[in-house]
Amino acid sequence: MPTLTIDNQKITVPEGKTVLEAAEELGIQVPHFCYHKELGAVGACRMCAVTVQEGSSKGLKMSCLIPAEDGMVVTTDDEQSTTFRDRVGEWLMLNHPHDCPVCDEGGECQLQEMTIASGHGVRRYAGQKRTYNNQDLGPFVAQEMNRCIQCYRCVRTYQDYCGGRDFGVMGSRNRVFFGRFQDGTLESDFSGNIVDVCPTGVLTDKTYRFKSRYWDLQEAPSVCPHCSLGCATIPGGRFHELQRVRSGENQLVNGFFICDRGRFGSGYVNHPERPRQARNNEQLIGMDEALRQLDVEARGLIEQHGPEAVLLLGSERTSLEANWLLQQWAKKLGCREPVLAAHGPRHQAAQVVAFDLSDRLASLEQVRGSDLVLVAGADPLAEAPMLAVALRQVVRSGGQVIVYDPRPVELPCEFDHQALSPLALLDFLTAGGSDGQHVRELLQHAESPILVGGADLLGVEGLQRLKKMSLELSNDQRPCLIYPLLSNPNSFGAALLSLPEQDDLLTRLETGRVKMLVCLESDPLLEAPESDRFSVALTKLDKLVVLDYLPTPLSVHANLFIPTRTPVESDGTFINNEGRLRSYAGVLEPGLPISVAEDGGHPPREFSTVSPGSDPLSASRILQILLKDDSSLVELHQQMVADFPRLAGLTGLTPSDAGVRVADAAARNVVNIDLPEQPVGTLQLIVSPARYGSDLLSRYSDKLEPRFSSAWVMMNSQDAAERGLQEGDKVILDTETGSFCLPMICHPQLAAGCALVENSAALASLVPGAGISYCEVSREVSHE
Amino acid sequence: MSQTPQLLFKNRRPGETVFMDGYRATGGYQALEKAFRQMTPQELRELVKAAALRGRGGAGFPTGVKWTFFPSDAPGPKYLVCNCDEMEPGTYKDGELLMADPHQLVEGMIVSAFALQTDIGYIFIRYAYEKQAEHLRRAVVEATEAGYIGKNILGSGFDFELHVHGSAGRYILGEETALLNGLEGKRPNPRLKPPFPATRGLFGRPTTVNNVETIANIPHIINGGAEWFLDLALTPDGSGTKLFGLSGHLNCTECFELPVGIPLREVVENYGKGVLHNHTFKACLPGGASTPYLTAEHMDVALDFDSLAAVGSRFGTAGVTVFDDRTCMVAVTLNLIRFFARESCGWCTPCRDGLTMVRWLLEMIDSGKGTPEHLEMLKDQLKNISGKSFCALAEGAMGPVAGLLTHFEQEIVDHIEKGCCPFRK
Repeated sequence: MPTLTIDNQKITVPEGKTVLEAAEELGIQVPHFCYHKELGAVGACRMCAVTVQEGSSKGLKMSCLIPAEDGMVVTTDDEQSTTFRDRVGEWLMLNHPHDCPVCDEGGECQLQEMTIASGHGVRRYAGQKRTYNNQDLGPFVAQEMNRCIQCYRCVRTYQDYCGGRDFGVMGSRNRVFFGRFQDGTLESDFSGNIVDVCPTGVLTDKTYRFKSRYWDLQEAPSVCPHCSLGCATIPGGRFHELQRVRSGENQLVNGFFICDRGRFGSGYVNHPERPRQARNNEQLIGMDEALRQLDVEARGLIEQHGPEAVLLLGSERTSLEANWLLQQWAKKLGCREPVLAAHGPRHQAAQVVAFDLSDRLASLEQVRGSDLVLVAGADPLAEAPMLAVALRQVVRSGGQVIVYDPRPVELPCEFDHQALSPLALLDFLTAGGSDGQHVRELLQHAESPILVGGADLLGVEGLQRLKKMSLELSNDQRPCLIYPLLSNPNSFGAALLSLPEQDDLLTRLETGRVKMLVCLESDPLLEAPESDRFSVALTKLDKLVVLDYLPTPLSVHANLFIPTRTPVESDGTFINNEGRLRSYAGVLEPGLPISVAEDGGHPPREFSTVSPGSDPLSASRILQILLKDDSSLVELHQQMVADFPRLAGLTGLTPSDAGVRVADAAARNVVNIDLPEQPVGTLQLIVSPARYGSDLLSRYSDKLEPRFSSAWVMMNSQDAAERGLQEGDKVILDTETGSFCLPMICHPQLAAGCALVENSAALASLVPGAGISYCEVSREVSHE
Repeated sequence: MSQTPQLLFKNRRPGETVFMDGYRATGGYQALEKAFRQMTPQELRELVKAAALRGRGGAGFPTGVKWTFFPSDAPGPKYLVCNCDEMEPGTYKDGELLMADPHQLVEGMIVSAFALQTDIGYIFIRYAYEKQAEHLRRAVVEATEAGYIGKNILGSGFDFELHVHGSAGRYILGEETALLNGLEGKRPNPRLKPPFPATRGLFGRPTTVNNVETIANIPHIINGGAEWFLDLALTPDGSGTKLFGLSGHLNCTECFELPVGIPLREVVENYGKGVLHNHTFKACLPGGASTPYLTAEHMDVALDFDSLAAVGSRFGTAGVTVFDDRTCMVAVTLNLIRFFARESCGWCTPCRDGLTMVRWLLEMIDSGKGTPEHLEMLKDQLKNISGKSFCALAEGAMGPVAGLLTHFEQEIVDHIEKGCCPFRK
C-alpha cells in the first residue's frame, strides 16, 4: 500500500490506485473529463494534469494514468499544472457555443464545473467555430454536437461497455463526430446511458427536454421496478410529474448504468388514466370512507361466512413491507393467509430461488467478474437487460458466455448459442449427452463459473436441476454460483414471505367459499395465466376490491377501488433476484401533474388547500391504517425482522445503500414435477416476455411505445416448411389458453419443434412462466 | 553517382526495379542463408545491438535495444510489423527504396523475424504507394517460391508468413500503436502505453514495429558485421548510412544514400547542387516536417542523431527540405501546421484543439492581423503543447514552431509591426 503526498497531504491507498483517485480520497478534485469511474482512464482530455515532484517519472503527468507510488510527491496547484489545465480548458472551449441558457445540461454540466475549475475564463481564440449538423437519434436521445468536447465517453459507453454498434466516432482532428452513420433511432437497449455519461449537453434526454432545471428536480435514490435485478436509479420529479430517471450507482448490482426500459419506462407514474380517487362502484368517495368500508365489509363477511370468505392477494410488484402488512391484516381479520402472487407457477419457481438456492446465489458484480457463464433458459435482453451488459463484460475481459435457450437469443457480445427446446433443455441440465458433458467440463475448469437460469423457462423443475448441477460443479477451491432471473422487482420478497405449499389463487377462488377478493397492486387478468378461469371465478364473488396505481383492466370491475402510490411516491423495500434487500425512497407526492393550460385556458377559479389527485396512499400506509398501526418504517422493519429472521438486513438499511443479502434458508425437500407428455404432432409453446411492454409498468409507459412489438408467432424455418408455411403467412396458433390468429415469422435459430410468442399488450393473454405446454400451428382457413 | 558506400541503393537504377534475379546477383539473400545456417536468433539480436543501428522512422531509438524488450521465447503468436506509412512532408525515402529494391525489405523481414522468433509479419504500406505495394507483393511471392518464406525455412524449423497490408492511410498511422489499431481494422487512435507493443501489440500479442529502412539495413549488417557498419558513419557514435531525401529550394532534389554524420553543407552543396537560382540558404528542415529548423549557422553540423539534438533539432527521417532567403518562415510554419492540424486523429485535446489554436495564431500573424499578444500566445502554446499530448504527433507538429520562435522571432515581429508579410511584394 503506497503512501504518497498530494498538495502537502499524506495518504495511503491500495496498490494500483491512480493519483487522481488518491487525490479524490483526500477531497482534492482534479478536473477531468475522459476519466470515468466505470469506463476507466484513457488519457485523452489531458485535463487532469498534475506535477510529480518526487517519483519514478517526474514532471507534468496525467493523474488518471499514473499509479500512486510510495514516497511520491505530487502537486495539483503548482504553476505548471494550473497553467496547463487552464490551456486545456481554453482548447476545449474553442468551439463551444456558450449556449448554457438554453441547454438542458445547465446546472448539472461537468463542462461548466470543470471549465471554472480549470481556471479558463476569457476567450482569446477569435477564429471560426466549427459547427455540425445534428442527427435525429430517435425518441430517447437528443443530440447537439456543437457542444461536444470530445471526451469519447459516449462511444466508450455505447460501443465498448454496452456493445451497441450503430453509434460511434467518425471523422478526425477537430471535426470528430459522435453519432450514427445516418439519422435514425439508436438501436441499443442501453442508449440512454450516453445521456448520463456525457459531461455536457451534447446528448440529453429527449423525453425530458426543456422540462426542468436540474436544481428544480426532486430526486432520491430508488430501485428500478421494471425487472427483478433491482438496479439503482435516481428518478427526478417536479410538479407532481415524474420527469426523468437517471441511473444510480450500485457496484454490487448494475454498476453505473441502466437499461432503456428502466430509464424511459416511467410513464406509468404520470399515466393520464391513472386512478387517483377511491370509488365504490361508479361513485367517487374519500379515502377515509373507502378504508372504513373495506374494513367493515371484510370483518362482516368473515364473521358471517368464516375465514375463507375473504381472500387477500398480495403482489410481486408491491413492496416487501406491504406484503408483510397484508399478512398481519389477515391475522387480525382472522381470515386465511394471503396469496402473495397471482401467478402460481412463477411464485413457486421464485420460492425455489428464495429457499433452495439461497445459499448459492451470485451477485451481478460476480457475474461481471466471471470467466465462464452458462445461460440456461434465459433471454437477458428481455428478462433482465443489465445482465446482458454484465455478460459483455465477461467477454471483454477474456471470459466466455454459453447460452442454452430455445429462443434466437441476442446479446451485445460474442457467445455460443445452442437452441434446445424447453424439454431438451431440462435433459441437458441433468445429463445432456456429450454436449452436456463438454459444457460441464468447461465449467469444471473455470475459475469462477456462474450458471444463469431463467425461472420462467426453467420452472421449478429446471431450477432444481440447475441447483444439482451447481452442487456438482462446486469444489473446495471455489463454488459454482447461480444467478437466477425472476419476473418482478419483488418476486423474491413475495416468495420469501409466503408459506410453502399453500394453495394457489385459482384453487382457493374456485372453492366458491370466497366472498371477497382484495387485490393489492395485482391484476391476475394480466399478470397470471388462465385469465379465463379467473374471469369465471370473479363472477362468484360478492365483492371485488382492487388497490392499485395502474388503470388495470381488473380495476374497472372493482366494487371498491382504492388508489395507491407508485414506488417513486413511497418508501419501501424490494428483494431482487439474488436475495438482496434494495430499499427505495419516495421522490414525489402524488397528484395530477401541473401543466400549462391548453387552449388558452384560464387560471383555476377554485382554490383548495389540497392539490388535485393527491389522495393515493402507499399500500403499506393503507394497511397500517387498517391495522391501526402507527409504527415508523424503522419500527416496522424491527417487527418484520422479529417475524422473519432472514430479513435481518433490513435493520439500518437506507436507500443509498448497496443493499444486503437476506440470510440463507434451509433447503426444502425436492419435489418431483411431472412434466406433461407431448401429444404427437404438437409444438412446444414458448411464451417469452417482450423487451418492452411485457412488464406491466412499461406497458403503461407511453415513452416506450415506439419500442413495443407487434404480435406474431415464430417458428423454426424447417418446422414452418414442413407445415407448408411461409414467413408472413397468417396462421392459427392453438394453445391451452385459446386460439390466436397471428402472422408467422421464421427464424433459423429458434429451436426445432417449438413455437415462440412474445407477451405484450398486443398478445396479453399468453403469459410467460406458465410451465411446459404444447400448441399447434396451422394455416388460417379463410371463410368466404 | 555517389562516391560513398552504397548499401540500400546498391541496386538502384533510374526507372528500374530489381527483383529476385537481380537482387541475388549482387549478393541478395546471402545474409538470410548465413543467418539461418550459421547464427542463432540470440546472436542475430546481439549483432544488431552491437551495430548500434538506430530506428530510421524518425525517433532514432536503437533497434537492438528495442529488440531486447521483445519476449522472443514467449509461446503463441508474435508479430513483426514493418511501418511503411511514410507520409510526412519532405520524407519519401522508403518509397524510393521500395521502388528500387523491394527484396531488401523482404529479406530483412525474414531475418528479423527469425531473430525475434515472430511467426507472422505484416508490411503496413501507405495507401499512395500502390506501385511499391505491387513490387513488394511480387517480391513476397518470389521469396516464397524460393523457400525463404513458409514452413521450415532452409530446414531451420522456423516458420514465417509475410503479408503486405495496404493502409487506408492517414499520417497518424505512422505512430506505431495507431498503426496496430489500423491493422486490426479499428479506428487508428494511438494506444495508451504501457503496455508497449512488445508486451501487448497486434491482436494483444507481442509485437515489434520497425521502419522500412531500419529493416532493410539488417541483411547488410549480417553480411558486413557490426564493426564495418559502425565505421560507415562519419561521426564516432554514429553508425551506417542513411537515405537523405532532398527537397525544397535546391538544384537537385533527389534521394541519396549518404553516411550518417555527413555535414549539412556537403549535403546542400555536393548533393543538392547548391540553392536554387543561386539564392542564399536560409533554413532547412533536417529530418522531415516535424523537426525544428536549422539555419545558415548550422551548415557544419554533422547530420546525426546526437549532433542534431545538441543544436536543438532532430535527425528524424533525414528528409532535408531547404528554404532560400526569399522564403517567409511564418508562411512555411503555417503551411506545416496546417498539415499537422489536419492529420491529428482527434483523440487528445492539445493536438486536436491546441494545433487548431496554433494554426489560427499563425494565420493571424501571417495575414498581418497579428499583435504582440499573439506572439506571446504562440510561445505559451509551444510550452503547453510540446511533450504534453497523448502521442508524439503534436510534439512533432510543434517542432517547426519551436524552430520559428528560436531562429526567426524577428520575422514574426516584422509581420506584426508591418501589418503584412514582409516578403510579399
